Amino acid sequence: MTTRDFKRFFSQYKILALLLAIAMIWLFFEQLTDGAFLTPRNFSNLLRQMAITGMLASGMVFIIISGEIDLSVGASLGLLGGIAAILDYTYQLPMPLIILIVVALGIGIGLFNGYWVAYLRVPSFIVSLAGFLAFRGILLGITKGTTVPLESEPMIMIGQAYLPMMLGNFLGVAVFALMAFLTFRTRAGRAQHGLAVPPLWQDLGKLGVIGVLIVGFVYTLNQYEGIPVPVLVTLVILGIFSFMANQTVFGRRIYSVGSNLEATRLSGVNVRAVKMLVFGMMGLMAAFAGLTTTARLAAGSPSAGTLGELDAIASCFIGGASSRGGVGTVYGALIGALIMASLDNGMSMLGVESFWQMIVKGAILLLAVWIDVVSGAGSER
Amino acid sequence: MTEYLLDMRGIVKDFNGVKALDGIDLKVRAGEVVGLCGENGAGKSTLMKVLSAVYPYGTWQGQIFWDGHELKATSIRETEEAGIVIIHQELMLVPQLSVAENIFMGNEITLPGGRMNYSAMYKRAEELMAELKMPDVNVALPVYHYGGGHQQLIEIAKALNKKARLLILDEPTSSLTKSETEILLDIIRDLKRKGVACVMISHKLDEIAAVCDTISVIRDGAHVGTRPMSGMDTNEIITMMVGREIKNLFPREEHPVGEVFFEARNVTCLDVNNPRRKRVDNISFQLRKGEILGVAGLVGAGRTELAMAIFGCYPGQYSAELWLDGRRISVDSPRAAVTQGICLVPEDRKRHGIVPLQGVGANITMAVLGEYARHGVINAEKELCQIEKSIARMRIKTASPDLPIRGLSGGNQQKAVLSKMLLPNPKVLILDEPTRGVDVGAKYEIYKLMFELVRQGLSIIMISSELPEVLGISDRVLVIGEGQLRGDFINDGLTQEQVLTAALGQSAALAA
Repeated sequence: MTTRDFKRFFSQYKILALLLAIAMIWLFFEQLTDGAFLTPRNFSNLLRQMAITGMLASGMVFIIISGEIDLSVGASLGLLGGIAAILDYTYQLPMPLIILIVVALGIGIGLFNGYWVAYLRVPSFIVSLAGFLAFRGILLGITKGTTVPLESEPMIMIGQAYLPMMLGNFLGVAVFALMAFLTFRTRAGRAQHGLAVPPLWQDLGKLGVIGVLIVGFVYTLNQYEGIPVPVLVTLVILGIFSFMANQTVFGRRIYSVGSNLEATRLSGVNVRAVKMLVFGMMGLMAAFAGLTTTARLAAGSPSAGTLGELDAIASCFIGGASSRGGVGTVYGALIGALIMASLDNGMSMLGVESFWQMIVKGAILLLAVWIDVVSGAGSER
Repeated sequence: MTEYLLDMRGIVKDFNGVKALDGIDLKVRAGEVVGLCGENGAGKSTLMKVLSAVYPYGTWQGQIFWDGHELKATSIRETEEAGIVIIHQELMLVPQLSVAENIFMGNEITLPGGRMNYSAMYKRAEELMAELKMPDVNVALPVYHYGGGHQQLIEIAKALNKKARLLILDEPTSSLTKSETEILLDIIRDLKRKGVACVMISHKLDEIAAVCDTISVIRDGAHVGTRPMSGMDTNEIITMMVGREIKNLFPREEHPVGEVFFEARNVTCLDVNNPRRKRVDNISFQLRKGEILGVAGLVGAGRTELAMAIFGCYPGQYSAELWLDGRRISVDSPRAAVTQGICLVPEDRKRHGIVPLQGVGANITMAVLGEYARHGVINAEKELCQIEKSIARMRIKTASPDLPIRGLSGGNQQKAVLSKMLLPNPKVLILDEPTRGVDVGAKYEIYKLMFELVRQGLSIIMISSELPEVLGISDRVLVIGEGQLRGDFINDGLTQEQVLTAALGQSAALAA
């Protein structure tokens, strides 16, 4: 295999390159920790660590695909988490109502940012930098700089509970059944419209791989305590957002706005609405991440989510999103988040000092995007 | 031999085997103003790029003698040092820097340690401004304080500061108002008296006639003739510029033309950067059902701006009243235009036509994606069916509908953009330079398609810079010059001379 073939292979199957990177990182830590890294317990920890960054990255990746940036999500995460804690501790509202209020506020914050970017045409870097300062300021104001504890058990469950084993097994089977159903529906649809149907063994093979992954995933987590609730939430987001990106009009619009805004506008698309909604989705993700963070800490902390936006942005870029817009995937962003979490987790286990962790994460980000630029350079012209 | 300051002999320049220049001669005496004329794409700009070494010595054939010696420059810096300075149509000033800083850009007068010697630069800049009869300009102010006319003169000051002996002005008045143009022409006359020679490329024959001593005409990359300006009249120049027969590249087909179906009244667009100037000046026209209306005019005449105003996407201030099928319609965005049955295939395919990273198929269905979706979820199979139909109908050559469109050839990209704009079933289709950068075969197919569409009752507005194309396809021709409607002709025995005469503002043509 020549270097060029190699490059082409990886630019076509970016996900393989990412999975290879994860495998290498895991084996590396497995070796250094004498087998303590790849245990069900640590796997569970790792996934719980990545869940919050993963939620943010799932929203952020669409912002980046549409050619924008959002620096305010760490602060809005903190603010929304803080509000959740106050609603619980001070006002003693029931959990469903708290979730409803926080989610609505999150979407509101996102749409507010989006309105400034899309309709008032302030660059997103500036709008979100303003949010970065202001939202944190509001949080400090309403909490008076103190930590607000959570009281109600159900709220804490959001961040700390595990699914019962039976439910986990059931979900695994249900997801597999859904995938099988979708595969065969696509086949039937293609046949109905007289389009070429891929050979059956190909689809069955794909389903087989999916099945093995699901079984492995559920089995490993059941070895410990079961599927953590935040991980489940992240996976549901992955499913819904991937579906949205690939199968809906809105998803297609996000990519075309990021790839060529003018051509999209001249095709009669309301590009401003698309941008604003993308920010709305980011707000929703900040709400989920905020609720999870507060529940995990069992308290609303005024410093929650600090630098969370940077981890999310880095995850997207490591996961193959393009800084010029138009390119990116949700699963890529989540794998990016998993790589970041693996580095954090592994180095902590090794007792590497935190300053080294920051240096390594920075270097990995730089390297990942450089590889992307180099491997993409051939196809650019 | 030293009679000429510049003597270009037998210049040949080809791009991948296509000859853009085929043996061109150009001679300029010291202190002479030569007008260089030719149609769009005749090779004027290419010739100037050869002269100023944008295309370095060795990438073209022929000889250039400068002041009696052969010039073998390989970079713009060398030609500038020799005293040949080109001023491009698009000004190359940095708006935020001061007038003096712009004049001395790359040529700064410095003090030890690399510090700018502002007092020396300001002094020299003021001298230059006085020389150009602009003593009021404050050379310490940023350039953006001054309008298009002043900026053009600042460019000239920059050139003079480089001790220019030959100024090349490429369409210098294209963004100037009438009075600003007068000032510029005065300056050129003044420079002439001081011994600075000038090559002026312009579509505006009255300006050429006003300042030039000699006129040189090129056509299709070949030298047609060089004559003294005195004794020439503009009709002769136009004949020299056109001078060729239409070859039968155009499959014109008879088709019925119906009643007036679309009407635009009082379309006016103001220049984005210079709102005092009208890019489109109160143009009104009608379009019949099943008609192909050609819009001719020289580059920068305001044709694209007119199309953008109708489509609701002109970036600056504009006004337009539109009637479709007897009803007044309001089009404030491309979205409104598309839903009301007006579609535009834009001129700049790369910037405004394609979404490069997306597949050919996704590009084709972009404008009507909602039709293949229920509750926002795309029915991929239904969409793919339409895509395959479009690809087959247009004979778009692509290995797969999922292939990113940027990998396709210009002709195939254009066909995909056309497909995209046909799917909303427009009633009025505006094609802005539909065959630019498209190979001959694809051109023919696009023409065929246009006739098929008008027979189905569509009305087409086709903007084109290629006169043979306009005359070969259109039922009627609008001629636009300097933002104004200069002619509205039934295309029956219409000649290129008539169109060009109208475009250049010769009132005689309006009689036709």
